[in-house]
Amino acid sequence: MISFILMVNKQGQTRCSKYYQWLPMEERVALESEIIRKCLSRSELQCSFIEYRGYKTIYRRYASLFFIVGTKPDVDVTQVEGAAAENRENELGLLEFIHNLVETMDKWAGSICELDIMYQLEEVHFILDEMVMNGYIVETCKGATLRPVDLLERESRKGEAMFK
Amino acid sequence: MSLKLRDLIRKVRACKTAAEERAVIAKESAMIRTAIREEQSHFRHRNVAKLLFMHMLGYPTHFGQLECMKLIASPHFPEKRIGYLGMMLLLSEEADVLMLSTNALKNDLTSSNRFVSGLALCAIGNLATADMSRDLAPEVDKHLKSSQPYLRKKACLAMARCLTKCPEMVEDFVDRVVTLLKDRSHGVLISVIQLMTQVLIVEQKSVLENPDYEDDYGTPCQDAFVKLVPSLVKLMRNVTGGGYAANDAGGATDIFLQVHILALLRLLGAGNEQASEEMNDVLAQVATNTETSKNAGNAILYECVQTIMAVEADDGLRVLAVNILGRFLLNRDNNIRYVALNTLSKCVVDEKNRRAEDDLVATGDDDESANNAASALQKHRTTIVDCLKDPDVTIRQRALELIYHLVNSENVESLTAELLNYLVLCPRDHRGDICTRVLRVVEKYSPNDRWRVDTLITMLTIAGRETSRQVQSASIIYISRASEDLRAYATHKLIKAIRDDDGSQRGLLVVGVWCIGEYGDLLLSPYSNNEESFSAIDTNSILETLEEVIGRHTCTEDIKRVALTAFTKLSERFANSGDTATLGKLQELVKKNSKSQTLELQLRSCEYDALINAMKGIKVASAPASDDIFGATAGGDETLSEAVIAAAKEALARMPVVDLRVMNRQKSSAYADDDMIGGLDTKPAAPAQKKNDDLLDLEDIFGGGAPAAPQPAASSNDALTNGSAPAPAPASDMDLLSDIFSAPAATPAAPATGMSMNGGASYDPFGSMPSSQPQQPPSNPLDAFAPTPTPAPLPTTTAPAPAVDDIFGAPAPAPAPKQNPVVQGPSHEGLSIEFECTKPEALSRAKSTLIAKFKNSNSAAIHGLSLQVAVPKYVTLEMKPPSSTTVAPSGGNSSAQVTQSITVTNTKLGQKNLMLKVKLGFTLNGAKVEHMATVSGFPAGEY
Repeated sequence: MISFILMVNKQGQTRCSKYYQWLPMEERVALESEIIRKCLSRSELQCSFIEYRGYKTIYRRYASLFFIVGTKPDVDVTQVEGAAAENRENELGLLEFIHNLVETMDKWAGSICELDIMYQLEEVHFILDEMVMNGYIVETCKGATLRPVDLLERESRKGEAMFK
Repeated sequence: MSLKLRDLIRKVRACKTAAEERAVIAKESAMIRTAIREEQSHFRHRNVAKLLFMHMLGYPTHFGQLECMKLIASPHFPEKRIGYLGMMLLLSEEADVLMLSTNALKNDLTSSNRFVSGLALCAIGNLATADMSRDLAPEVDKHLKSSQPYLRKKACLAMARCLTKCPEMVEDFVDRVVTLLKDRSHGVLISVIQLMTQVLIVEQKSVLENPDYEDDYGTPCQDAFVKLVPSLVKLMRNVTGGGYAANDAGGATDIFLQVHILALLRLLGAGNEQASEEMNDVLAQVATNTETSKNAGNAILYECVQTIMAVEADDGLRVLAVNILGRFLLNRDNNIRYVALNTLSKCVVDEKNRRAEDDLVATGDDDESANNAASALQKHRTTIVDCLKDPDVTIRQRALELIYHLVNSENVESLTAELLNYLVLCPRDHRGDICTRVLRVVEKYSPNDRWRVDTLITMLTIAGRETSRQVQSASIIYISRASEDLRAYATHKLIKAIRDDDGSQRGLLVVGVWCIGEYGDLLLSPYSNNEESFSAIDTNSILETLEEVIGRHTCTEDIKRVALTAFTKLSERFANSGDTATLGKLQELVKKNSKSQTLELQLRSCEYDALINAMKGIKVASAPASDDIFGATAGGDETLSEAVIAAAKEALARMPVVDLRVMNRQKSSAYADDDMIGGLDTKPAAPAQKKNDDLLDLEDIFGGGAPAAPQPAASSNDALTNGSAPAPAPASDMDLLSDIFSAPAATPAAPATGMSMNGGASYDPFGSMPSSQPQQPPSNPLDAFAPTPTPAPLPTTTAPAPAVDDIFGAPAPAPAPKQNPVVQGPSHEGLSIEFECTKPEALSRAKSTLIAKFKNSNSAAIHGLSLQVAVPKYVTLEMKPPSSTTVAPSGGNSSAQVTQSITVTNTKLGQKNLMLKVKLGFTLNGAKVEHMATVSGFPAGEY
């Protein structure tokens, strides 16, 4: 399952983070900075998978933004036996998922950039919620993802836009 | 009033330092807290949105948790929405506040607005606890039947969460799955397939946790889902056939759906022949027809391969899968190569396990068919080896991992050569690991000894710096186990490597110096075989090489230690060369460290010096008694002196071959028995054990080498020396090399042990005080050593006399033998044996220690004593080497008594009595004598 999805810029600043397994704040900060450091130190030619702290992380870079997905084995059966858990997550599939996510966000914001994510953080979260739930992929069709988001948005605007 | 969200973000972005940012956030947090306290409901959701931002930046936001709860209950949709988002992000599953949301969730689930229900389902899917799952599952279940796909798909995953939290509810929902599988919406299909997968995993987990579960018949869900395999296969066909083309993602038709179906099939097909049979066709279809020009297609293929490998697929399909991976390996995309390498190593491991199982169950035929996929794998070997040259270190690591698994006795030579090539290139911190792996490969598959030794030496030359101790000692062991010819070859090769090296390859130096010490005499003659030849090296240049090694300032203590040992051994090896200059120089080199600040070196230096002198005892007949450690006895007792000389020679002689298994066993029991030296040394004290358990404990702790240890520290100086005396024993436990050196101790043929330990014991302060020490009662087994006290080379040895009495006094006068039953053993040609029976452990009555005491009533000494003992099946036996193999004519002089300890455990104590069959062998007056006899008469019921 997916344990976390991160969007981090080249300076190592987290722009969006979503965890599907709870981590204490200090650990999150440490994890994020470690992972981004590892991502930054790799070249284009190297493969996009990093194994770190028991997570298998898959990352993809779009301009200055890194999209990072961390996975852990499902409710890990092997843990009971005391063996190292085997992560059967399909790395290539997740790579495709990241691309799918970016395309969806592109469609939503025209051309997505770091600032879009920063200033409309809650919207990004809503999109993510449509696509992934509890670490499992719900929807990958761009239309099916964005339609409810738009509708919800319209619903929200009806009342007020006071926190914008 | 607090800032707007946008303004806060802008402000944070404008911050130039982290401190500034912290200040901005701290100020804003304070504002939000005030707003919360004052119940400014109007700004509530703006505040929560800001908290989300702060949370992402890593600042504490716990004070906002309750606000989220309030927002969830709000009737306004925007507030509710941000409230749910806040809840999912800010709260952990363990948060107590979460309980408060149960009611709001229940209300929202029944809401007529599908978006409100959707939010609630999403929250349940992400956060539900076991309690909440139990309460809300019925509502979630209703949504599984909803008319809207939007809610059905969310309900599926929400249900998956509920079922993982409360596995006992699983059975009630199995039926629902069947209808959901017919759904037209692919979102629902993905979700329901993941739901099924999770349910299966949960079930497997609970089976694993309750081993008494009847797993012969499969679990209920497994059974139910296996029946669905045909519909899953049909679904898969539909999807690949383009039935869901609308969801085109990256070229292939909905890859996520396909990937998840394949993953589910994997779970269902594993270990189930029939289900595997049913999915065979579709797997073959996917494997052959999937478009591979895009990443998406490769993702599906990858999943398909994983499934083929996991289920009971037929061999053709397996070979196909391996070939797909082989094609992946040729791909230019590193991601795909990574995945291929990873999967291949998993396959090899699985295949090995499978074969192991087959071996247990079936005959040779099955064996061969199982090999097919493996042999297909071997075809891709060259491609895999090429991956070692990839610029990406991750790929290289993976390839390496895979190569270890691929090695077998046929390809070991070429693959090891590749590994060694890689060793040169790879980053330093990986080398140690690779060396260990190479060692393992070499241990397991080596075609012959020469190749093995050659490989190990090459490895040490490349990465001696990073090799672990284990690798070094293993190399030494392999060299010492090889033939004489090979030893000469190895030693020549090593000395050449040492000369070429700049002194940084520590592992090489350790192994090399050891071998030069042990087999130095072989260097004196030239060596050649078909491929290589080495010219003879004279003693001087050997010494020069060694001196250069220890002369470097980078030389570590380890190497110096080994070098000292090497010098000592060389002085024996070169003894016949008559080159007195070299011999003198060797002793000089040994002595050089006698004032070293390092205790270990100092100790070795002194001990070895004594040994060399002892050995010379023969040649220099009139050795001045006062200087010589062994002089005291030499002067007093001519026979013992001869024994001592012989012993010293034997100590320095070629060591016998070490059995690897013994080494390993010894390592594992290192705690129980500090090491061989320690074990041996406690032995003579055995009869006193019963009396002085507490003393014995201490002796154990100090490796037995230190009867001095319990002495009340008279002065700090004294205490220090005492501490130093036993040092070699525990230290050498760690030092495998010195273990090897002490190995002769383990073989009964070596009186040297007693001897060298005698040397060791002589450093305890008591040894230096023969005058103040009362003559030991003859019965004390410590006697064997007691009459040979010597002026200890250590400088401070003025222990107070009372302390001496304390230590030696206590065990010594104790008439231990009198209380223990003594059984008369056989006597033959003047050699008689008595067995003194003791119980070493108060608690285990079955275990007893027999001390065999040899007495020689002849006028001449008995040499080459060996005692072999056989016992009935119900008794286990453990023998220590004798304290000496030479039995001097006794004539009442008990100091010459030789003992050997035998530990027996009678498992049928009380029913059957202990019996021994003994075989004696010795040389008397140059004639070999053998004698067999049976010993019984041990006190019935006790032994």
